[in-house]
Amino acid sequence: MIRKEAMEILIKEIGEKPIISANGYISRDLFNVKDKKTNFYMIGSMGLASSIALGVALKNTKKTIFVFDGDGNILMNLGSLVTIGSLQPKNLVHIIFDNSSHESTGGQPTNSGNVKIKKIALGANYTVYEIKTEQGLMKILKKIKKDKGPVMLIIKIETLKIIGKRITHKPIKIKENFMNSLGEK
Amino acid sequence: MNKNFQRDVFNLLLKQGIENFIGVPDSTLKEFIGEGLKHKKIIISTREEEAIGIATGMTLSKSKSLVFMQNAGFANSLSTITSLVQMYKIPLIFLIGWRGYLPNDAPEHKKIGKIQPELIKILNLPSKIITQKNWKECCLWALKKNSENKVCSLVVRREFLD
Repeated sequence: MIRKEAMEILIKEIGEKPIISANGYISRDLFNVKDKKTNFYMIGSMGLASSIALGVALKNTKKTIFVFDGDGNILMNLGSLVTIGSLQPKNLVHIIFDNSSHESTGGQPTNSGNVKIKKIALGANYTVYEIKTEQGLMKILKKIKKDKGPVMLIIKIETLKIIGKRITHKPIKIKENFMNSLGEK
Repeated sequence: MNKNFQRDVFNLLLKQGIENFIGVPDSTLKEFIGEGLKHKKIIISTREEEAIGIATGMTLSKSKSLVFMQNAGFANSLSTITSLVQMYKIPLIFLIGWRGYLPNDAPEHKKIGKIQPELIKILNLPSKIITQKNWKECCLWALKKNSENKVCSLVVRREFLD
């Protein structure tokens, strides 16, 4: 499975719910798969998608908030797992597209193949699922509806050599769209 | 050393609608953080950038937020300030404890303390030094900036050694 395929399955389940997507190819892929006003595309500040999502989740307890994160991204901000695990937002679903590489910068390796993010997240009080197939992903997405967050899905993906188009919205527009969409019930 | 004004700062900001106080503890800001803990309004993060991220998420949810940190952590956060806070125009209030203000502060604070005013200036971050005497007007200034959707910072000088 490549990231875009995983995202297409995810989007069918997520619909219009808010997504905070990490910088680099993750945000680009989301933009190309399904551009919507409830997407907060990060352009810079690598590592912080889950922190922003935590802030949104704590203030919007009736909505399920999704994070589209990468292995390189979360490894840059492992402390975020500690804070999320301590505050226990029930409405946070943390999705990690794990290709064991920094794909956006040329495919250099990360250490997610050597150290298990799953074990770290379990230690941080997450409910964690590791997913390798499209069928598995569809099954887990149904299952987590009954789980109390924070929930983490680690989706193993293959790297792809095709680069998605850049996000064409200006940062201010991304923010305004996202803020306005949160206000809608 | 009378640091009680920090408790007044917290209470005024809370009363005037700042709902979230997120950051990494700093001994210079001990009284401020202590007052916030008393009110159960403090979130302690592991790093300053993380605090900025959480505060950003809350601000996107239209809940006003302050981020507190030591100036060492402020230096850690430069890229987050430029590529998140300033690029998306997130109206946060920063409260920064300034170690290295005194030239004979501990060695690890000297260099960063010396360039602290320049760092703020070069970032174009509107800033005021908040003291026992001017705390009220500084808070009102920061609240005004915040209501105009602008980011700003308040700096507390470390004026004693321990």
